[in-house]
Amino acid sequence: MSGKQRIDAEPAYVLHLHPYSETSLVVDVFSRCHGRVPLLARGARRPRSAMRGTLMAFQPLELGWFGSGEVKTLAKAEWMGGVPLLTGRCLLLGYYLNELLMKMLPREDAHPALYDAYGEALMALAQGSADAPELRRFEKTLLKELGYGLTLDVDADSGAPIATEAQYCYLVERGPVAKVDAGDTPMLSGKTLLDMAADDYTDPRTRQQSKQLMRQLIAHHMGGKPLHSRRVFVELQEL
Amino acid sequence: MTRVTRRGESSSSLDELIEALRCLPGVGPKSAQRMAYHLLQRDRRGAERLAHGLETALQRLRHCTRCNNFSEADVCDRCTSQRRDPTLLCIVEMPVDAISMEQTHAFNGLYYVLMGRLSPLDGIGPKELAFERLFARAADGVVKEVILATNFTNEGEATAHYLSELLHARGLKVSRIARGLPVGGELEFTDAATVAQAFLDRRDFT
Ligand SMILES: [Zn+2]
Repeated sequence: MSGKQRIDAEPAYVLHLHPYSETSLVVDVFSRCHGRVPLLARGARRPRSAMRGTLMAFQPLELGWFGSGEVKTLAKAEWMGGVPLLTGRCLLLGYYLNELLMKMLPREDAHPALYDAYGEALMALAQGSADAPELRRFEKTLLKELGYGLTLDVDADSGAPIATEAQYCYLVERGPVAKVDAGDTPMLSGKTLLDMAADDYTDPRTRQQSKQLMRQLIAHHMGGKPLHSRRVFVELQEL
Repeated sequence: MTRVTRRGESSSSLDELIEALRCLPGVGPKSAQRMAYHLLQRDRRGAERLAHGLETALQRLRHCTRCNNFSEADVCDRCTSQRRDPTLLCIVEMPVDAISMEQTHAFNGLYYVLMGRLSPLDGIGPKELAFERLFARAADGVVKEVILATNFTNEGEATAHYLSELLHARGLKVSRIARGLPVGGELEFTDAATVAQAFLDRRDFT
């Protein structure tokens, strides 16, 4: 996606803002059809900038930009509304989603399905649901879109269908295997795997085990890079 | 160490100065070079004052043990003033925010300056902001109400939320400054985000 381009009214979210100079910002944006793009917002730090209030993370926007370099120039930002501001724990979880996107998604790689899953997860967080199925669905879609899709219906060793009552451990980059001695790999019930395949998170044990599995897989695919947002979240819970 | 440039002249102290100026926010190599030549060629007295000012400020300024703002003494003038109400403690992000509050002439209590805000994506959490010091300050037995005046950004809101929970748990009354349209503001000329939030934060009106 090189060469000069002019994009108009592209649905997008702000992931993070960095001050660029006394008066400008670099905005890390996740857009529906162009993926993650860094945009320079000239003058956005000026006291009376019209963009100042609009460039808020976790809010659906429509952005226009142009340019040919790595960092494009933001031309227009329109507030779409409809999503309440995130607060408290849910706000911290929002940062976690943004950090995953910033650290795992390469730039200018379009992922409309992930964009939609992100929007749904944000909506659930905005409504105050910190343990929503939408969060697991977002993580699942993220891994799938990056080419690390989960195997949830067959035993990766034997090819046999997953049995509800059996116990499995999930081997990274392979899938679930029926095995008892797996060191420190946490065990999962067959039901958890099948529930996850069906996106059904009504069972509390499914919620707990799927969260743990996602944490393990994401940590692996991040290649040991730490997640700041998780550390800050944990530190705040400990106070 | 003397660095030799392509043309063969040695200019290590000039290079060092240019490199040093780049620590200022938004100053790239080009503007750093311009600043350095300006100071050395056109305004040597200004350069001397700048060097002196930086050196003394660095030597003398520390953080007030009560409000965490910059101060030359252990406890700053405002924190020792008899004319301020010590039962009110206003928490702000930065020293400039305390100055803004002062300009309102609406507040006569004391301040605590966080010197930042929670910013999970930048790795700034309760340890980096020394929340424990703030809790110790707020729990001095004199403070009755803590007013949260962090910014209305996501980071400022996250900071206010957690401080409110944690200060409540320590038995303190906590309030948050209100948000809405600016005084004299007209709906037509206000951004949609502000109007939307002002609408959500509407209150009974009699
Ligand atoms: Zn003080």
